[in-house]
Amino acid sequence: MISRDEMLNLANLSKLYLSEDEIEDAMKEMDGMIDFANQIKEMSPNSHETPNINGLSNALRDDEVIESYPQNKILENVNGGKDGYFYIKKYN
Amino acid sequence: MSNSKRGIIKRIKNMLSNKEISCKELTEKYLSEIKKSNLNAYVTVCEEKAYKDAEKIDEKISSGEELNFLEGVPMALKDIISTDGIETTCCSKILSGYKPIFDATVWKKLKQNGAVLLGKLNMDEFAMGSSCENSCIGGAKNPHNINHVSGGSSGGSASAVAGNIAAYALGTDTGGSVRQPASFCGVVGLKPTYGAVSRYGVIAYASGFDQVGPIAQTVEDVSLVFDAISGYDFHDSTSNPNVKMKTFNGINNDIKGLKIGIPKEYYDGVDEKIKLSIEEAVKVYESMGATIEYFDFPEVKYSLPVYYILACAEATSNLARFDGVRYGYRTEHYKDINEMICKTRSEGFGPEVKRRILLGNYVLSSGYYDSYYKKAQNLRAVIIKAFDRAFEKYDVLITPTSPVTAFECNKKFSNPQEIYLADICTVPVNTVGIPGISVPCGFDSKGLPIGMQILGPKFSESKLLNVAHKYETFTDYKNNKCVEMGVRL
Repeated sequence: MISRDEMLNLANLSKLYLSEDEIEDAMKEMDGMIDFANQIKEMSPNSHETPNINGLSNALRDDEVIESYPQNKILENVNGGKDGYFYIKKYN
Repeated sequence: MSNSKRGIIKRIKNMLSNKEISCKELTEKYLSEIKKSNLNAYVTVCEEKAYKDAEKIDEKISSGEELNFLEGVPMALKDIISTDGIETTCCSKILSGYKPIFDATVWKKLKQNGAVLLGKLNMDEFAMGSSCENSCIGGAKNPHNINHVSGGSSGGSASAVAGNIAAYALGTDTGGSVRQPASFCGVVGLKPTYGAVSRYGVIAYASGFDQVGPIAQTVEDVSLVFDAISGYDFHDSTSNPNVKMKTFNGINNDIKGLKIGIPKEYYDGVDEKIKLSIEEAVKVYESMGATIEYFDFPEVKYSLPVYYILACAEATSNLARFDGVRYGYRTEHYKDINEMICKTRSEGFGPEVKRRILLGNYVLSSGYYDSYYKKAQNLRAVIIKAFDRAFEKYDVLITPTSPVTAFECNKKFSNPQEIYLADICTVPVNTVGIPGISVPCGFDSKGLPIGMQILGPKFSESKLLNVAHKYETFTDYKNNKCVEMGVRL
């Protein structure tokens, strides 16, 4: 069983707020999901290999400056930002 | 002529080239049917842009230039695929208003091929779901019966194609999200090999599993679209630079001597009618000279928990970027930066997304990492090897696409895991990175479509499309109610 403290820690790691009601439900759901995940404990892998899903390695490009997206275009998604920056309200 | 099983893309090309219809008129037909449709398949319709693009195609036709296959064909994209200047939300409140400033490579390629974009398609929020009902605009409906779900997560893509309000569509498949809705809606859906199609500009759910795939009425159409979108992309370091695939010319090849394996474990808990339909389909292959063998595949049953552990872990990391600072939704009232981020995420994400983020953080957190995340990675390697062994013996494997047909809308599941079981036949493909295709193979007693899934080794798309096409040419669609829906050409 997942404890309330563990659940709150997970919410904190996830940057999510959970209301009192949500905490109870989330704990129940998490227990079910963990049981579901526990199926893997039935099987012991005979290797400790980590898979390489596409067989590629070190897909690196040359270390050269390449064109990027213009700042003003990027800021269009926050109504233009402010003075070329992303902008959030001032807080104390 | 009514919509039959013949590919619609070739027909459109002929109609446009012969000047039976202009591209603008054709686009108008689609847009008008989209407006009338009750399928809730579209989240954004790009009317103005579609007409503009259609006019360009018409100019090309009047100047006597030859059209390629996809030129002027009205299509649509799942709302997870970035489109420059067109809202792309993943059907999540947290991305409301977000307009990408670049095109995903798959869309760029289709654009270069002259595709006419009708709009963006409904989906489960961030591609997390099997019914499309986790969408912030409500689920897309199944054209065969609108009281049933379209499947998910690419529900809008399958619904739009089946309902003839897009000639073809792109979806994404992380655990079955192209194949399962294609199966539920009675259309064809291909999940390509991991690395065969660029993921650049496709908003990430689980980067080690995601692939873009086409959904269309026929295998022929799927092949044409796949050939256009596949190939190496500099912008996606996981796309494979060594493989070039052109599948279309081989779809009619003879399949005599094809070795088909039937993994028994895939049939546990599957509806009887679905089992029967697959058995019938397998007999068709036998009659074409293929050999059939049933075999035990015990490793496959661990694919589902392995998938959910690893995909949720990746989702946790990928979705950490949504903080309300740079795009999309931002909460109104907050007193510090942490509260702004937490409130934005709590208000912006839906319940299924939160569930998966929480599980992902659980399996990655100190004390649990080794027993869940690391062990699941080890098991993933074991499952990959088991598939490698199967493909040493068989050319392709045949399974159901889903253990059930499309369920009713708003169906209550006792817990989230129950709905995850709907993915049991599709998830292994993503766990292993191989391609899989779903083709319609019959209808259940309620008239809802059944899908057959064909799997092959990595980069065997040509073989899969060939095998699927051979079956398709044998079947008929006379029970398909959807032929009278939407645009009739």
